[in-house]
Amino acid sequence: MVRKILEIKNLKKHYDSGFDLGVDHLGLDENRIMVLIGPNGSGKSTLIKLINLLEQPDSGEIVFDGSNVLYSGKAACDLRKNMSAVFQDPFLFNMSVYNNIIIGLKLRHIKVGQKKEIFDYLIEKLNIEHLLLRNPGSLSGGEQQRVALARALVLEPRLLLLDEPLANIDQLSREDLRSDLFGILKDTERSAIYVTHDRNEAMIIADDIAVINSGKIEQTGPKNDVFRRPSNEFVAKFVGVETLLEGTVLENKNNVCSVGINRTEIYAVSDFRTGQNVTVAIRPEDVVLFSEGTDLSGSSALNFFRGTVIELQDVGLFKKVELDCGFRLVSFVTANSVDRLGLQKGKVVNSSVKASSIHLLKR
Amino acid sequence: MELIWDGIKQAVILLFSGSREVYEILLLTVRVSGIAVVVSMIIGMPAGLAIGLNRFKGRKFIVAVINTGMGLPPVAAGLFVSVLLWRSGPLGFLGIMYTPSAMIIAQVLIAAPIITGVTLAAVQQINPGLKLQALSLGASRIQVLWLLAREAKLPALAAIMAGFGGVISEVGAVMMVGGNIKNQTRVLTTATVQYVRMGELSLAIALVIILLILAFAVNLVLTLVQQKENRTWSGRFWR
Repeated sequence: MVRKILEIKNLKKHYDSGFDLGVDHLGLDENRIMVLIGPNGSGKSTLIKLINLLEQPDSGEIVFDGSNVLYSGKAACDLRKNMSAVFQDPFLFNMSVYNNIIIGLKLRHIKVGQKKEIFDYLIEKLNIEHLLLRNPGSLSGGEQQRVALARALVLEPRLLLLDEPLANIDQLSREDLRSDLFGILKDTERSAIYVTHDRNEAMIIADDIAVINSGKIEQTGPKNDVFRRPSNEFVAKFVGVETLLEGTVLENKNNVCSVGINRTEIYAVSDFRTGQNVTVAIRPEDVVLFSEGTDLSGSSALNFFRGTVIELQDVGLFKKVELDCGFRLVSFVTANSVDRLGLQKGKVVNSSVKASSIHLLKR
Repeated sequence: MELIWDGIKQAVILLFSGSREVYEILLLTVRVSGIAVVVSMIIGMPAGLAIGLNRFKGRKFIVAVINTGMGLPPVAAGLFVSVLLWRSGPLGFLGIMYTPSAMIIAQVLIAAPIITGVTLAAVQQINPGLKLQALSLGASRIQVLWLLAREAKLPALAAIMAGFGGVISEVGAVMMVGGNIKNQTRVLTTATVQYVRMGELSLAIALVIILLILAFAVNLVLTLVQQKENRTWSGRFWR
């Protein structure tokens, strides 16, 4: 059986600002990375502080590694020693980089020699070997955060808490640090909670995802479950579903539903019953575009839509294409495909989506 | 102009001629103010740290009291200590009125709020996130205090300078509780007042110059320590 490192039950906390946090249930298995994702002000950092015992909840319980968390000073301090946290700001102390990295060891009365292996590994992986004698004030934001990460990781905590550690770093350093950090997390098999509002980051690093909104956990589960089968429209939008259409199940044959939307039928693999109102969720990367006249006899897709391009927009490495197919359908394609298909506003193209890629939400 | 020049000459002569009286005054000044500052540090620094780092009921009131204390008129401190130590006063049995001990008590009353207040201000400048970070690294309450005190170390030297400046230059309180008794409780400031009253202006100028040199020397040492700290801490390693 998998060991639970953390379990939260019915946790409630009211703030004077009027914000309420209420987490019915959240669990993290050992050696897994959970990404806590949600918009700004949704309570991500607040939840991290509660887990880190930096704040006390009004009610509910936190079970850490099998034992209930107590909030008396000494017990909380002892328990906190099993965790370490990195926040958005590096919060380095006014001492050398080396002393900053080992400060947690000193506080725990652990000899640096005992952690030499992990120390050497971290300063090499995080590329901070040459900074050890420097004053944190003289480092760039990215370098400071590398030091803060080393300081937390050298403790080899049972649970690592990372509260948007890359949020305040410029784009270029961020990508470098992200790949270094994610490499370390995988290498060292840490149990970690990683807070972010960047779903690409979540997609790369997460084993599990918890989506939080207005102080409540909207959905939690393995990454692919949450990304492929969001439980409601908020989660769907947050994990990158671009097309959400309201319709009614017209028929269900062997778990293939036909959903009526305007005058179109959309097929989706699902167990909804005839007559149920649903929302159809389609991820943009699942919508395949092709030019008219393409031979489709080999395609296994059930859904074919013909539509007019109404919008073309750059979104990072992809182009976002909006089609009017009697409903709005969004697809992500490569710049290459845009050229090949000659996509431009007003152009009529065909698209297909597999029934198994379409997810239905209860409405 | 000649008066000032005479004063400077007199100061040099007094300093280097080995006048016993001047040395006694100088030594007593250093002893009384030095002990007062050390005692005030022992009281004021932990108090400033504790008040600055914690939030509790009545905190604002206490901070207001300390701020008032920072501007406490020395005569008020002197009067208060006099009333306490007066023969018929509550602490009269100690019999320390008109002794250096009484002067130290009065000066602590002046310097302790200054050192507390400056420490408090310095601690409040520390990023509150550092406390959170220290806790999340597993620091106990004492360790958090230690870490944050370390952060406030350089501004704390300013607190010592402010406290020392407050007492070395003070005349009202030491006059009142010390009595300016020759060879017993006469310090640089009270002696200066005495000489001005007697019309010995060049002697007074000489003493003031000695006082200024003393204040400058103490602040110079503290400043050097402060600047050195600022430069070299990064090289120090724990093993």
